Amino acid sequence: MAESVTITFTVNGEKESRIVSPSRTLLKFIREELNLTGTKEGCEVGECGACIVLLNGRPVNSCIVLAAELDGKELITIEGLAQNGELDRVQQAFIDHAAFQCGYCTPGMIMSARALLERSPSPSDEEINEALSGNLCRCGAYQEIRQAIKSCAKK
Amino acid sequence: MAVFDYLKCADLAEAGKMLLEEERIQPLAGGTDLMVGIRGGKFKVRAVLDLKNIAALKVLSEDEAGITIGAGVPLNDIVNFKPVREHLPILAEACHSIGTYSIRNRGTLAGNICNASPAADTAAPLYCLGALVNIAGPRERRSVPIEEFFTGPGQTALKKGELVVTVLIPKPYPTGKGIYLKASRTGSVDLATVGVAVQSYGNEVRIALGAVAPTPVRAKSVEKAVNIDGVKDWAQAAQLVHADISPITDLRGSREYRYHIAEVLIRRGLEQTMEV
Amino acid sequence: MSAYKFLGSDVPRKDAVEKVTGSAKYIEDLHFAPMLYTKILKSTIAHGLIKRIDTTKAEQYPGVKAVVTGKDFPNRAGLYLVDRTYYAVEKVRYWGEPVAAVAAVTEEAAAEAVNLIEVEYEALPAVFDPREALKPGAPLVHENLAEYERVPVFYPQPGTNIANHFKVRKGDAEKGFAEADLIVEREYYVPQMQHVTIETHKAAAMWSLDGRLTVWSTAQSPNVVRQILAKSLGMPLNKIRVVSNYIGGGFGGKAGAAMEGLVVPLAKKCPGKVVRVVFTREEDIQGSFTRQALYARLKTGVRKDGRITALEYHMVWDGGAYTEYGVNIIRAAGYSSTGAYDIPNVKTDSYCVYTNNPIGGPVRGFGMCEMQWGLERQINEIAAELGMDSLQVRLINGMKDGSTTASGQEVQHVAFDKCLQSVADYVGWGEKSGKYRGKGIAGLVKAPAQPSNAASSCIIRINEDGTVHVLVGASEMGQGMLTAMSMIAAEALNIPVGKIEMRVPDTDFTPYEWQSVGSRTTYCLGHAILRAAEDVKKQVYLITAQVLGLPADELFLDDDTVYWTKDKSKKVSLREVADSCKKCSGEGIAGPIIGRGSYVPTKMTNLDPETGQGKPGLFWTFGATAAEVEVDPETGKITVLKLATAMDAGQAVSPQMCQVQVHGGTIMGLSTALFEEVRLNQGRVLNPNFTDYKIPTIENTPEIKGIILETPEGDGPYGLRGVGEQPMIAVPPAIANAVADAVGIKMYTFPLTPERVWQAIQDQEKTNRTP
Repeated sequence: MAESVTITFTVNGEKESRIVSPSRTLLKFIREELNLTGTKEGCEVGECGACIVLLNGRPVNSCIVLAAELDGKELITIEGLAQNGELDRVQQAFIDHAAFQCGYCTPGMIMSARALLERSPSPSDEEINEALSGNLCRCGAYQEIRQAIKSCAKK
Repeated sequence: MAVFDYLKCADLAEAGKMLLEEERIQPLAGGTDLMVGIRGGKFKVRAVLDLKNIAALKVLSEDEAGITIGAGVPLNDIVNFKPVREHLPILAEACHSIGTYSIRNRGTLAGNICNASPAADTAAPLYCLGALVNIAGPRERRSVPIEEFFTGPGQTALKKGELVVTVLIPKPYPTGKGIYLKASRTGSVDLATVGVAVQSYGNEVRIALGAVAPTPVRAKSVEKAVNIDGVKDWAQAAQLVHADISPITDLRGSREYRYHIAEVLIRRGLEQTMEV
Repeated sequence: MSAYKFLGSDVPRKDAVEKVTGSAKYIEDLHFAPMLYTKILKSTIAHGLIKRIDTTKAEQYPGVKAVVTGKDFPNRAGLYLVDRTYYAVEKVRYWGEPVAAVAAVTEEAAAEAVNLIEVEYEALPAVFDPREALKPGAPLVHENLAEYERVPVFYPQPGTNIANHFKVRKGDAEKGFAEADLIVEREYYVPQMQHVTIETHKAAAMWSLDGRLTVWSTAQSPNVVRQILAKSLGMPLNKIRVVSNYIGGGFGGKAGAAMEGLVVPLAKKCPGKVVRVVFTREEDIQGSFTRQALYARLKTGVRKDGRITALEYHMVWDGGAYTEYGVNIIRAAGYSSTGAYDIPNVKTDSYCVYTNNPIGGPVRGFGMCEMQWGLERQINEIAAELGMDSLQVRLINGMKDGSTTASGQEVQHVAFDKCLQSVADYVGWGEKSGKYRGKGIAGLVKAPAQPSNAASSCIIRINEDGTVHVLVGASEMGQGMLTAMSMIAAEALNIPVGKIEMRVPDTDFTPYEWQSVGSRTTYCLGHAILRAAEDVKKQVYLITAQVLGLPADELFLDDDTVYWTKDKSKKVSLREVADSCKKCSGEGIAGPIIGRGSYVPTKMTNLDPETGQGKPGLFWTFGATAAEVEVDPETGKITVLKLATAMDAGQAVSPQMCQVQVHGGTIMGLSTALFEEVRLNQGRVLNPNFTDYKIPTIENTPEIKGIILETPEGDGPYGLRGVGEQPMIAVPPAIANAVADAVGIKMYTFPLTPERVWQAIQDQEKTNRTP
């Protein structure tokens, strides 16, 4: 049995090579080995969305992806959004609209929103619902989140 | 999380060999059911075999035979595949009703049917569309009609060493409207309490249901009434579904409610797809 | 326009940048090394004796550093009724009760090892329905109830399963019913729910070799955790340090000392190492406080003109296996049992009853959602029987200035009528809805349920450059404490919010705060901040007086400068005053400026044990919700068309954050109205995951209208009062009242799942068919 798997990948723009345990989830790997703790754990079974990251540009639940599957791929986490000390416009919109309370779901929420705006720059309500229905927010900031995303829409 | 090995393979032959020879090995495509199953103890695996490198599983195409959907294709890609949207909107709807957007970036159609939940959202439309499941095994390849693929809750026709390569939706495509109606507790991300697919083929209808029997089922009695006996009163036809299903009571709904909802959704499906 | 310089305007949240960039640190994000991982062995029966525990194999498993059972920490702990041990001792009382635990170098090793612990039980008869548990001869959940220490305002009855019985006898209920033209009596049921904060419960502990204990926890109440641990460990408070970072949602679930004690005995066996436990989602739903289920019987007497003359409220609460916190919920529900209405004659009996179900405890609303469900439903039934408009009946009986609560406490600064009217207007009250559509309204009231001496305190440090650090012990769990408190400090000091810094609590450094619960913080801590700011200004003016040679009482601080009120050109910078101020000669005047403020309520009283009369409420927050719904009569599915909640905040600290809170509370209320229920079978939770414990997604969220009223609270700092928990309270009855209006069905329980609504429609049709 293989004790470990070697993976090469890009994380937030940086090329990396690591040795991981074959049964390690991507979420645990990101949090405990890359020390990027912005990505959160809420259920471990892909139901809450707190762990959503972008894998090759697509939002995925990192708790049900294996770290080994990261090989050859591009990973973006919440820490990778702000560039040169400037917040991403989605991040700024979340602040402007107070689109969170406890903030625990926020990283996953922002990653989903970011991916949505990439594929649909002026999303409809229906598209927002579709893109974010996998991100649970127990504080119930959904109304503000919707407004924040809409404010990012390209006119 | 349990400790297990992560294996890769280059092609179908190698995959088949590994699946046949290794004990406690599970194929990994999207992993959205597998990883949950491993965590919950449903699968006690020694290793997972990642199939995503196999080219044959990445196919998503249309040809004279119909639409071929590779076992490694994420649900979102199926939803967005133009021929599916154009010719099989019922399948696009059902794929879209599974899980969440991020789950659909990983989860696959093959995974949905291999998990073999009686409530699998894609099953009822696939039943209506007469889908064929193409299976690769260590010695031979075979095609199984979707209705023979499901053999019980969590049980499929797959034998040790076999894996699903593609699902074919054969031509001719349906000529009439098709609709997948899903009743659930929240109406958002949720499992089906009852799922109903109603697909018109012009004068004929095909109807299938999920979450009302040990496997997805065709509503044969309703179909007969509409297609053969010429019943035009959809409410009357829908009532006949009681003979086709055997729902249970669980957290998502009672047996009685499921009987009732199956009937309501079939009637609504007929109203929305069939000309009177 | 706000009457204040900073209050009432919107500023970006203090935690905003950290939270949108992923740099906000929650407990699990802290890096500990070396760290041990914990897995807990849970009881597999609901009630029984532990005959044998064998931990040998687990101890020998590679990587295991410690194994504990109930023997290692048998001391009882609890907030109000000290009835609980962190690990079961001799007996288990609920399915999933912690029995033993393992700490190991990896999570995998801990998980493997914990399953090697062998436990033998002798099952005892169990009881899962509190009404059964009240009957003579019911299995006793706690045999030694008489021995348990308790706060004296709770009344357990040894030899029974009654953990607390709270009584209200106001006026003369019998006479009140005699005066009534109509008496309505019904039973109502509210099931258990869970907080399901997206961050589950987590804690870590470390014993230093010098005997100090440090605990990191998702606690809403670090000081209470410290106090309860100190008491159960027999340690002085200064040897225990409790740190609570950002919390990923609380809603009461992380109040009290929820689960920190689980890692403490493990840590004791591994000095110098941090031992951490992270609840899985399943453990969180099964093993943390649930909302107590309520079986209620409510009887109301009313005159033909709509005036309620008497109320009799019988409440039986499912306290679960331990009620250390729950005893106070049933008390609060008791002394608030007339809801937002002025009812002269009241007889209430509220029982907290032990069962072998999961532990009941605080959940947003603290008994008010459960208690006001029946009340607000019954008002509609009264209105229907009298042929009156239900809003009218609410307005006739609603509390006004000078009204008295069930406990006879007079309320002031009340604008309940405006709350009702504003939400009614929003849904177009009185205008006919379409077919299968209906409108409903419900009122609400809630006071913080806190001990009469629950205190707050604050330290303000003026830095050498005139910027400010405010130290408080309140927790930031999303409610916006850091921002709101910074704004209050800004207003009180007259220094802009941007110059004020505030951090999350650490009991070694931040001053005492009872708990961040009950929507009390803004009010109580707000007072402490005001006092600390006054203390700062006093010092600033005394120093400035010496520098400028002017009377101290003729000076004022504005941002970075202290001015003479009579001539603004006579001034000195705060920087100069604060930086160890000295005279021209070089002689020092004063050192660093540190202000202190503390607050304890002085007007609350204990309640009479026989009549429940007294003053339990620090302030009473009123509000109302109205809804318009459409019901699909064939499937039972409810679609919410319009939803509005009005809250009287007294003074909104930040209108934007207030709105977010009102929207969020309303959604949580809607969620409980439509989806949420902990499904139990013989005490075992059947739906400990998001697959079957459903909460709303963005797709389930209608546009919510939040209406903030500002009727200043007389004693509140800047007239404000708390609004955090309240917005969810009236949502379930408002929705159910709307459903009744739409399709005529009467719901006595919620959630109003499609199946339940469909069933009620079936039952009604059956009743209508039988003459």
